[in-house]
Formats: sequence, C-alpha cells, structure tokens
Amino acid sequence: MLEAKNIFKSFNNGNVRVLKDVCLDIAEGDFTVILGASGSGKSTLMSIISGLERPDSGTVTYNGIQLTALKDKELTDFRRKYVGFIFQQYYLLPHLSVENNVRLGADLAGNRNYKNIIKSVGLEDKCKNRPFELSGGEQQRVCIARALAKQPKILFLDEPTGALDEQTGRSVLDYIVKLKNLEGFTMVMVTHNQNIAEMADTVVKMNSGGITEVYKNSSIKSAYEIGW
Amino acid sequence: MVISLKDGAKLISVSVICFCAVFVCTFMLNFYLDLSSISGISDGKILAVYNAQLSTAKITSALAGGFLGLIAVLMTFFYIKIYIDSHSKQLGILKALGYGNFRLAIHFWVFGLSVFIGCIAGYAGGFIAMPYVYEGLAVNGIPAVEINFHWQLLLGLVFAPPFAFLFISFGYAAIALKRNLGDLLGAKVLSQKIKPVSKSYKERSFLADMCIKTISSKKLIVFFVAFSCFCYSAMVQMGFSMKTMNASLMGVFILLIGLVLAFTCMIMSVTSLINANRKNVAIMKTFGYKPAEYAVAVFAGYTPFALLGFAIGTVYQYGLLKLMVNLIFADVGEMPVYKFDVALFFITLLTFIALYAITVFLFSIRLLKVSVKEVMI
Ligand SMILES: Nc1ncnc2c1ncn2[C@@H]1O[C@H](COP(=O)(O)OP(=O)(O)O)[C@@H](O)[C@H]1O
Ligand SMILES: [Mg+2]
Repeated sequence: MLEAKNIFKSFNNGNVRVLKDVCLDIAEGDFTVILGASGSGKSTLMSIISGLERPDSGTVTYNGIQLTALKDKELTDFRRKYVGFIFQQYYLLPHLSVENNVRLGADLAGNRNYKNIIKSVGLEDKCKNRPFELSGGEQQRVCIARALAKQPKILFLDEPTGALDEQTGRSVLDYIVKLKNLEGFTMVMVTHNQNIAEMADTVVKMNSGGITEVYKNSSIKSAYEIGW
Repeated sequence: MVISLKDGAKLISVSVICFCAVFVCTFMLNFYLDLSSISGISDGKILAVYNAQLSTAKITSALAGGFLGLIAVLMTFFYIKIYIDSHSKQLGILKALGYGNFRLAIHFWVFGLSVFIGCIAGYAGGFIAMPYVYEGLAVNGIPAVEINFHWQLLLGLVFAPPFAFLFISFGYAAIALKRNLGDLLGAKVLSQKIKPVSKSYKERSFLADMCIKTISSKKLIVFFVAFSCFCYSAMVQMGFSMKTMNASLMGVFILLIGLVLAFTCMIMSVTSLINANRKNVAIMKTFGYKPAEYAVAVFAGYTPFALLGFAIGTVYQYGLLKLMVNLIFADVGEMPVYKFDVALFFITLLTFIALYAITVFLFSIRLLKVSVKEVMI
C-alpha cells in the first residue's frame, strides 16, 4: 500500500544526514510501529512517507501514486484525501470548541457524522468546551477525533502518548486501537517506547537514520497488557 | 532578562505614529506660538483670517497629538500583551524563581525607547518642514511670521512623551503580569479569561467558525485594521480636497501622514495576525487545507471592519472639512465652498480595494511559507 524506496534526507545543506537509504513497506490495514531512540530520524521518516516533506532522493509510492513526483498542490490534495495525523503536542486551535476542532477534520471529508466520533472518544459532554478547559488526555482524544473525523485511509501518529501519564496514555492507545479495528484504516505510529511496540502488527526498528530490523509480532497485546 | 533591544525594534510602528504626531505638532504649535505673538491687527476682515489661522493650528495639533497619541498608547499595550503572551513560559519561570511583577515590569523600559526615537525624528522633521509651512500659511495683510525656537515645545514634544510612555508601559506590564503563575507556565491564551460555555453557542462550519473566532480573540487588531482603513479613506480624501481648496501644502502633509499611518497599522495588524496563527495554519496544512482556505480563515473576517473603517473615514473627513469651512472660516469672505467630491470618493474607494487586496495577497504568501515542521517538534 505504502512503499518507500532508498530514502535519503539531510538538513543544513547536507551536514546533518538524518535518513540513509531507508526502505519500508506498509501493508493495508496493518498497524506498524516505528521504534527507535530519540534523534534516530523517526519523525523525519514519518513526515516523508506521509507527504509532509520531500526526501533528497528516493521514492514514496502510495497505491500507485508516486508522492515524490507530485507538485505541492497535488501533495496537499493527497493529504486531504487520504491521510490523518496525531502529534505529541496536540495543536488544537485554542479559540475553537472541541466540536469545531473536530470539524477541522470532518469538513474536509464532508463528514456530517462527527458527533458520533466525539462520542466514541468519550467527549460528548465537553463538545462545547475549549481545549484549555480539558486535561491532557482529553485533549489528545480530541486530536484522535479530529484525525478520524477526516476518515483517513492511513493514520500517522508521532509519539501520541509522549505528553501523557501512564494511565491516560494507556487509555488513549486503547481508544486508538479500538477505533482502528472498527474502521479498518492503516496505522503508522512513531514511538521510542519499546513496550508500545508489543501492541503492533509490525515493528520497524530504527537506529541513527537507518532501519535495523523489521518483524511481525506473533501475539498482539492490548494497551493494558503492556509495560510502560 | 528576556526583553532585548530587538524586541523594542519591533515597536517601529509606535515610532512611526509618534513621528507623525510630533511632526505635525512641532510646526503647528510653533506656528501657533509665533502667530499669537503678533499684535496690532485692526482690520476686521484680516483679524478674522488671523483668528481662523490660530484655530486651525490649535485644532490640527490637538487632533494630531491627541488622537495619534492615543493610538500610540493602544499600540504599546497591544505589543506588551503580545510580548507577555508569547513569552509567558519564560516570564512564568522567572516569576517562579521569585522575580516580582515589579522587577519584571521595569524591563519593559525598552518599549519607551521607540517613542523617544519617533518623537525626536518627528521634531527634527517638523523643523525642516517649518519654513515651507510658514510660507504656505502666509496671508496678505498679516505681517510675516518669524520662526522662533520655543523650548517648551522641545520639552513637551520630545522629552515628555517617552517618560509618559515609560510609566504607562510599566504600569500596564505590571498589571498584565499579575497573572496566575500556573496560567503563565501553562501558556494559556491570555486574551481568554476562562468563560463558561456560552449559551449562544452556534454550530458553524470549521472555516466560518475560525474566521469569527480569529476576530473575537484579537479585538485590538479589529480596531487597528479599521483604523488603518479609516486613515486611508479620511486622509486621502481630505488631502485632495484641501488641494482643490487652495491649501495644497496642508493637503500634501495630510495625504502623506494618512498613507504612512494606514500602511503602518495595516502591516502591523497583518504581521501579528500571521504570527498568532502560525501553529493553526501549520496544522491546517498538514491536514490538507489549501492556501486559499487558510488565508480566508485568517484574514477574511476583517474585511467588514475594513470597509466600516473606510465608511467612517469618509463621513469624518466630510464633517471635519465642513466644520472648518463653516465655523472657523465663517467670517472670512474668500474661502471656497466645500462640496463632497463624489469622483474623488470613488477613486479613493477603488484604490483602497486594490491596495487592501494586494496587501492581503502579499501576506498570504507568507502564510504559504509556514512550515509544517512547526507542529512536529
Ligand atoms: N529541520 C531540521 N533541521 C536540522 N536538523 C533536523 C531537522 N529536523 C530534524 N533534524 C535532525 O534530525 C535528527 C532526527 O530527527 P527526528 O526525525 O525528529 O528524530 P526522532 O523523531 O527519531 O526523535 C535529529 O538529530 C534532528 O536534530
Ligand atoms: Mg520525533
């Protein structure tokens, strides 16, 4: 479904070489975790395979569309149609209600059913509140709703529980996986937390800009079964 | 401490406003003082002209000084607020370490410096322009007015305003810093006191809601946008009208000051809007919103206020010119009648719409450059 081939990426005119010849295959409906120490290039890789950034060389192909050959405008269209994002920092719009933050995603897909999504992340009572009136875990759940309301084919998550305590982190992960199984989208999650990798179908290990290991989990654990 | 001279440099628009105000006040008040020292005019008709000139000088300085001074104060508040908002974490940490509001507020002295720079430049400019003003205002029958130096103007226009601003900024900063430490460290949006969910909650599409909330969360920008358009409308029309009324020199000054004010305020507003919305635009970009869409979300809400400012400006300049002609120059025979210039109005309106569209377009390009990386750190 999503295929990256020989990706190279550097910053500061080639002085900081972040990705070195990365190849990656993501299957439809799969839950892939990209695991690696902080600074290993996970976020950079994610931004390239999700069409946010361009590699210096190499190709990214999504169901036959070669992202690396698209113009900026077409790349925007690609993200609009297919991709959802959840980041460590929530980046909710501070002046807008929970509902309208979710509509940021919903309106793009013409999704009138966003109220149900807000309900499914357990925030129907806080629909009209603004983000700063919510706890961290609740804010991250708004982000989940915002991303899912867009009905993405593939959801990218960059350390989604990085800013949360253990209990909240578990419940947020639990929500995400439950909704994934319900909707059946593809999911790519970046994390430095080894335990979270036990929840994934496929684990991609990264170390200083390269992929060192790819394996499939034989048994998949829930958010409450893993260590933290 | 966290406030640097570079932060002060951002206050350039305050300097520009102060420059305009002091520029006009310098030659107008100087003229007023020199003119009022003339005595012994007995001819009734000439006395009327003389009195009319005195009133014009008084009114112009009062309007320029008072009005622009007020705008400069508002702008300073606006900048201090933006500064505290965007540095809330740093300031919060300093407060947590035991710095008092007072000790932090003292550092806002930099904000008074920009006023001083504007004032001294305005004063110098006023003196350079003075011979031409005196020449332009000369009237047959009244003895030629000599340029004299008045030390009280130097004090009042150059040294007093920065001190006043120093105290005003300091006071405002001390009040604005009196926030909950938790609020500062949590970087909550200062402009929003936590209000209960409003009863008038309406369901709107995301873009429409964002338009409206951008406005309501930055009300001072609404004012500055409207003011900018007001200046353009009022001062361009007034400037050209005065030209046709044989007051070309004053007309040119008004025109120039109007343009400077309009552009300064507009650029300041648009720049702070962009800075305030960087993160919002970045997240919209990652989700696949198009440039036209986020430009609309950030800017479109201000258009009605821009037009309102323009309309008020038109009415204001009409009223003011009418008043000047009818009241001040009532006794002066050969003063031309003032009529509302419809053609001028339409030309001003058209150029206004064109300039407004171009400004918004040019600054939308800056939104394009907002990197999606900003949400990934
Ligand atoms: N825009 C950039 N400019 C310069 N260096 C960057 C930039 N983005 C990332 N890097 C560098 O690339 C390396 C990998 O970053 P990142 O992909 O964020 O790692 P991870 O997400 O695994 O922590 C880091 O050393 C970081 O400093
Ligand atoms: Mg990262």
